[in-house]
Amino acid sequence: MNTFKKMLIYLCVAAICLLCLIPFVILIILSLNTPQRVFYEGNMFLPDFYFQNFAEGWVKSNIGTAMINSMIITALAITIIIIFCSMAAYTIARFKYKFNTLIFAIMISCMMIPGIINTVPLYTLMIDLHAINTLWGMALVCATLALPQSTFIFHGFIKSLPRELEESAIIDGCSWFKSFWKIVFPLLKPASASIIILNGFGIWNNYAQAVFFLQDSKKHNVPQALSVYFQQFAGAKWNLMAATAVIAIVPVIAAFLLFQKNLIRGLTEGALKG
Amino acid sequence: MKDNKIGMHTFMALPAFFLYAVFFLYPLTKGIGMSLTDWDGISAAKFIGLNNFIKFFQDKRAINDIRTTLLFALGSAPLLNLVGLAYALLMDSKIKGKGIARMIIYLPAVISPLIMGYIWYLLLQPSRGFLYHLMENMGQADSFLNWTAKYSSSMLVLILVNVWQYAGMTMVVYLAGLQAIPVELYEAAKMDGASGIKSFRYVTLPLLVPSIRINVVTNIIGSLSVFDIIMSLTGGGPGYATESLSIYIMRMCYGSKTGYSTAVAIIMFFLILVPVLISMRLTRAKSLE
Repeated sequence: MNTFKKMLIYLCVAAICLLCLIPFVILIILSLNTPQRVFYEGNMFLPDFYFQNFAEGWVKSNIGTAMINSMIITALAITIIIIFCSMAAYTIARFKYKFNTLIFAIMISCMMIPGIINTVPLYTLMIDLHAINTLWGMALVCATLALPQSTFIFHGFIKSLPRELEESAIIDGCSWFKSFWKIVFPLLKPASASIIILNGFGIWNNYAQAVFFLQDSKKHNVPQALSVYFQQFAGAKWNLMAATAVIAIVPVIAAFLLFQKNLIRGLTEGALKG
Repeated sequence: MKDNKIGMHTFMALPAFFLYAVFFLYPLTKGIGMSLTDWDGISAAKFIGLNNFIKFFQDKRAINDIRTTLLFALGSAPLLNLVGLAYALLMDSKIKGKGIARMIIYLPAVISPLIMGYIWYLLLQPSRGFLYHLMENMGQADSFLNWTAKYSSSMLVLILVNVWQYAGMTMVVYLAGLQAIPVELYEAAKMDGASGIKSFRYVTLPLLVPSIRINVVTNIIGSLSVFDIIMSLTGGGPGYATESLSIYIMRMCYGSKTGYSTAVAIIMFFLILVPVLISMRLTRAKSLE
C-alpha cells in the first residue's frame, strides 16, 4: 500500500513536470524547422535542425537592442529600489516620527493598487517630463511600482535586527545616517536578494507599462520588441517566431536556473512575512 | 538615545516618498480629475461631470469587458489556488528529486506572460498550430475545435494557460506554509483519532490560512488586471469579446479618449478593491479562530 502510494505520487509529479515542459520542447522543435517544412508529413517531433532561424530572428527582430534596454531598465530600477527602500525602511523602523508613520501608512494602503490604474495620467505626466521613450523614465516607473512592497520587506527585516548594533557606533560619535550605511545596510543582503529576485523578473518582463512608455523601436524592451516583431507576421513564419521566442526566454531561464534556490526562498520568506 | 535630534536619518524616507508621490500619488489624484473631463489628450479639456461613468455603463463593449475580466478572475483565481494547493500537497511528501520538480513547475512563472501567450499560440492556433498539425497527422484534423471563434472556448484557453503558467507560484507559497506546520500537530491529531481528510480539515487548513490569504489576494489582483496573456493569445478576439478592462483602458487611451480611459481605471480600481477587501476580511477572521 505504502509503496503503491509513493509510486502514484512519483507518477503524478512526473506528469506535472512533463506538462510544464512540453510547450518549451515543442517551441524548440518549431524553432529548428526550415521555412518550407510541411507539418503533416513525417515525424512532427523530429525537427530539421535548421539553425539559420536563430540568426535571422536575431537580426530582424531587434531583440539584441531590446535585451540591452531591458537590462539597463532592470538594473537601474533595482538600484533605485534597494537604495531608496532600505533607507526609508530604516528610518521608519527605527524612528517614530509622525511623517514616517504617515509615509508608511500611505505606501501600505496603496500597495494593492495595480499599475494599470494610474497608467493613463502617468502617461501624460511622462510626456510633460520628456520621459516617454527613455530608459530612465521606464526604470523610474518600474521602481515606483515596487516601492511599497520592498519598503515593507526591508522594514520587517530591519525590525528584527537589534538596535544595539548601531547604538555602540552612535556612542563612538558616528551619525545614525552613517551607521546605517556602515552597519545595517551590509546586513540587509538576504532581504535585498529577495527583493531583487521578486522584482527583477517582473521588471524585465514588463509589458503593460512598456506598451505606453517605450513606443520608439530603439527603446523597446524584450516583450515589446517581440510583440511588434510577431505582429508583422500575422501567424506566418512559425520557424522565425519560435526561434525569436527561444532567444527571448533564454536569458530569463538562465537567470532563473542561476538564482532558483534564492528565488524560491526569497519568494516564500518575502511572501509569508507580507 | 538621542532619537529626537534632527539629522540626516530624519529625512531618509524622503527620496522614496518623493518618487512615490511624483510617479504614483500625483497621477492617481490627477486621474480622478481627468476622469471628469472629455479630454482627448491634445485639445483643452472640458468638465463633463460624471458623464464618462454614465457612458461606460451604457457602452456594450465596456460591459462585456467587465464580464470578461470577472469571468477570467472567477476561473483563474480559484483554479490557481486549488491546483497550487494540490501540487504543494503532492510535493510535501518525502520523495526524491523534489528540488528539481519544484524548479520545473515554477519555471513558467518567470517567463513574460506575453511571450508565454505567444508560445501557446504557436501550439494551439487553429489550422496552423502544432496541435492541429499533430491531429492532422493522425487523421483527426476535423475534430480540432476552432476555439478562437467562440467566446467560451477562448476564455477557457486563456484561463487554462494562465493557471498553467502560475500554478508553480501558488504552489511555492503553499509549500512554505505546509512546511511551517509542526509535525507534532499531525501526531497529536493522529492520537486523537483524526487522520487523512479530518486532519487536513482541522490541522492543515487552519494553519494554512496565511498562505491562502497571500495566494488569494495576489491572484485576485493579478487576474483582475490581466493584460499580457490576452494580448498575445487572443488579442481580445473574437471581435472585442475577450478584451479585459486593462486592454480597454489602453485602447481608449490610444483612441484619444484620455479622460474616459481614466474613468474606466477608477471603475476598475473599485472592481479590484472590493473582492480584495472581502477576501482579506474573511481570511483575517479565520486566522483568529
